[in-house]
Amino acid sequence: MDVYCCTGCELAAALIRGAGLQKYYEERSKFAPRSRSLDDGWDAVPVVSDQSGVAATKLMIDGLRCASCVWVTEHLLQSTPGVVAATVSYATGRCSLRWDPQRTRLAEIAGRIATLGYRPRLLGEEAQLDRDLLLRLGVAAFAAANIMMMSAALYAGWWSSMDPRFVVLFQWGSLVLATPVALWCAAPFYAGAMTGLRNGVLHMDAPIAIGVVVLYAQGFAATIANGHAYLDSLAMLVALLLAGRMLESRGRRRAAEAALSLAASVPTSARRATADGVETVRADALHPGDIIDVGAGEELAADGMVSAGSGRVRMALITGESEPVELGPGAEVVAGSVLLDGAVAVTVSAVGRDTVLQQMAEQLRSAADRGARPTSADRIAPWFTAGTLLVAAATFTTWVVIAGLGAAIPKAVAVLVVACPCALALSRPLAAAAGLGAAARRGLLFRSADGLLDLVDVDTVALDKTGTVTKGALTVLQAEDETLRVAAGLERYSNHPIARAIVDEAGRRGIPLPRGTDVVETPGVGISGRVAGKLWRLHAGEASQVLVLDEHGRTAVILLGDAVRPDSARAIAQLKQLGLEIALLTGDHEGVARRIGWEIGVKAVVPRIDPSAKAEWVRAKQSEGHRVLFGGDGINDGPALAQADVGVAMGSGAASSVLVADGVISAASLNPLPTGFVAARACTRAIRLNQMRSIAYNVLAVSAAAIGFVNPLVAAVLMPLSSAMVIWGSARVEAVVRRQIQ
Amino acid sequence: MNAVLFLLPIAVFLGAIFVVLFVLAVRSGQFDDLDDPPERILHD
Repeated sequence: MDVYCCTGCELAAALIRGAGLQKYYEERSKFAPRSRSLDDGWDAVPVVSDQSGVAATKLMIDGLRCASCVWVTEHLLQSTPGVVAATVSYATGRCSLRWDPQRTRLAEIAGRIATLGYRPRLLGEEAQLDRDLLLRLGVAAFAAANIMMMSAALYAGWWSSMDPRFVVLFQWGSLVLATPVALWCAAPFYAGAMTGLRNGVLHMDAPIAIGVVVLYAQGFAATIANGHAYLDSLAMLVALLLAGRMLESRGRRRAAEAALSLAASVPTSARRATADGVETVRADALHPGDIIDVGAGEELAADGMVSAGSGRVRMALITGESEPVELGPGAEVVAGSVLLDGAVAVTVSAVGRDTVLQQMAEQLRSAADRGARPTSADRIAPWFTAGTLLVAAATFTTWVVIAGLGAAIPKAVAVLVVACPCALALSRPLAAAAGLGAAARRGLLFRSADGLLDLVDVDTVALDKTGTVTKGALTVLQAEDETLRVAAGLERYSNHPIARAIVDEAGRRGIPLPRGTDVVETPGVGISGRVAGKLWRLHAGEASQVLVLDEHGRTAVILLGDAVRPDSARAIAQLKQLGLEIALLTGDHEGVARRIGWEIGVKAVVPRIDPSAKAEWVRAKQSEGHRVLFGGDGINDGPALAQADVGVAMGSGAASSVLVADGVISAASLNPLPTGFVAARACTRAIRLNQMRSIAYNVLAVSAAAIGFVNPLVAAVLMPLSSAMVIWGSARVEAVVRRQIQ
Repeated sequence: MNAVLFLLPIAVFLGAIFVVLFVLAVRSGQFDDLDDPPERILHD
């Protein structure tokens, strides 16, 4: 008979065994997350089947921690009746699923994933968009390469004589290849320009669309008239622009997927008191008015009021305070908090989406969509377009007056052609992709480039204490090896958070665990038993101490607490070096806050501050003219994360705070934060340089074209050169970051 | 030199075949995930 820490784990184990996948337990290198209940809404997902009656969808699975997690999820899905095919990607956590809607429901399949402890989410349409861009890019690149070869021959033919048959072949060949590029590959730019126009704004797509249309029209006319066309520039331009756009979209999607992981959810099951005993039920089967029993170490599955018993509860997820709260009859408790010791009966008042936890998560989710902001290039675009059109018109009229219509048209067209802002349009996406990549490789993921670039203006960094600067979990701060060995020998049988901290610490120090015998755990009091024949008693002392007593009443102490992450002090020193003000915000009382502040070198400590006050503090700073970054974890940091100019959540904090944050630290450390600032500064510099260079190019090229110095050959050299300049400028971001962060 | 007149269209046509193959590959999802398949072989 196996022993499980909770009914959720028992359910998961039964599921794995039932599918014949026991190998998972031998192979896994990390423990799976706790079994969870499924979020609502799966039955409302529209299902579309193909002709053979098979439906397909993509899911994102959060919480996959190791290769075995992927293996067990994939095989479990494959052995689910009604599932036709399932593959799970370790790198991205993405699952491609094909199933038969006649035989099973999507909610059923998702439920199995949730029972294992992972969290399935429906994936949006963006993957499809990426494919579309890739196709267009492939076709444009193929056409560009071939047109360039033919153009090279044509340019050579200007100086040496060339068989007119070849000239015709190359010109018409170029036109044939350029047609799909102009009509299909460049369509996203037309669409973008049209959408902009309809909304009454000119953004970067507008001058691009004008450029491409003019290029193609000129090419068409020139080919028929046997003249010189710019078709090579056209194909090259479109290919480069598509490549830039794809980089941008890939980077953004990756960051968004990583950031959108983890949201608050509650345990799968609860123990409900009935007339003749206790039954274990699924959490979603609870109703207000039910009475549930909660033991030490268990998580609450619903909101409610304590009707009997006492104990201490840790509500860090909701309030952000790591210090436990004493419970007695009449005390309010919320789903998601953990009972540290004692045992209580709770009268359920709210379940599922009515719980405080789920409602906070819901608010965060609706606040998460901040919308895209116009970029600096977009702000330039209207002026740019207007300027180009004006110069072209001026060129045209001037040349009509000087040399007549025949000479004026090619020169006006040349102006429009070289004015096409390819390099300018690439300035931001390329540098932003480089900056996002540089930050992501070092553990800081941003939802969009805006979040990263906003870091540049930040001058104040406010950090939550619990779970951000500290580990956010009970850890052994101080204990003798021998005391720890004995304590761990007894506590290994307990599921209590303190027990877990002690056993973990013993494991970390490499102390072999003895096997305690006659172990008796008395909830709310302590644990006793024999180690190597001697009787030991463990019980809670005051303020996070555990007293270890031997037979003769001699006492040793294990000091527990929330330990500062080992590299927090270094990260904060780096932030200070970057010229930032640091403040520590915490719900804990002043003593703890001061101690931690002293440890990491932060003088500005704000203790005893509740969630809404954190946001208020950020707002007050902002009204003084500061730009604030807030770094936090728990769901209680949500309002402050949303209020701050840049919100950064700890990915290790299991909370939907991640949903409102602009960025997520994927490592269990603050080190990525200073790196983010360095990357943001390098990135902003690169963008500014890129834009200056490309505008300088455009001004020079347009002037040259207006005077009549630009022909297709000059354009073919100038345009790629300007883009290459921008690409080089962006590629340097990574080098700059690497040099500054050792 | 006359050979160029028909060799060039043939070359472009051959290239176009590869474009078609590329389109089919993208549609079948071969480029959707470039990180995972190399690792997958290690897990089975």
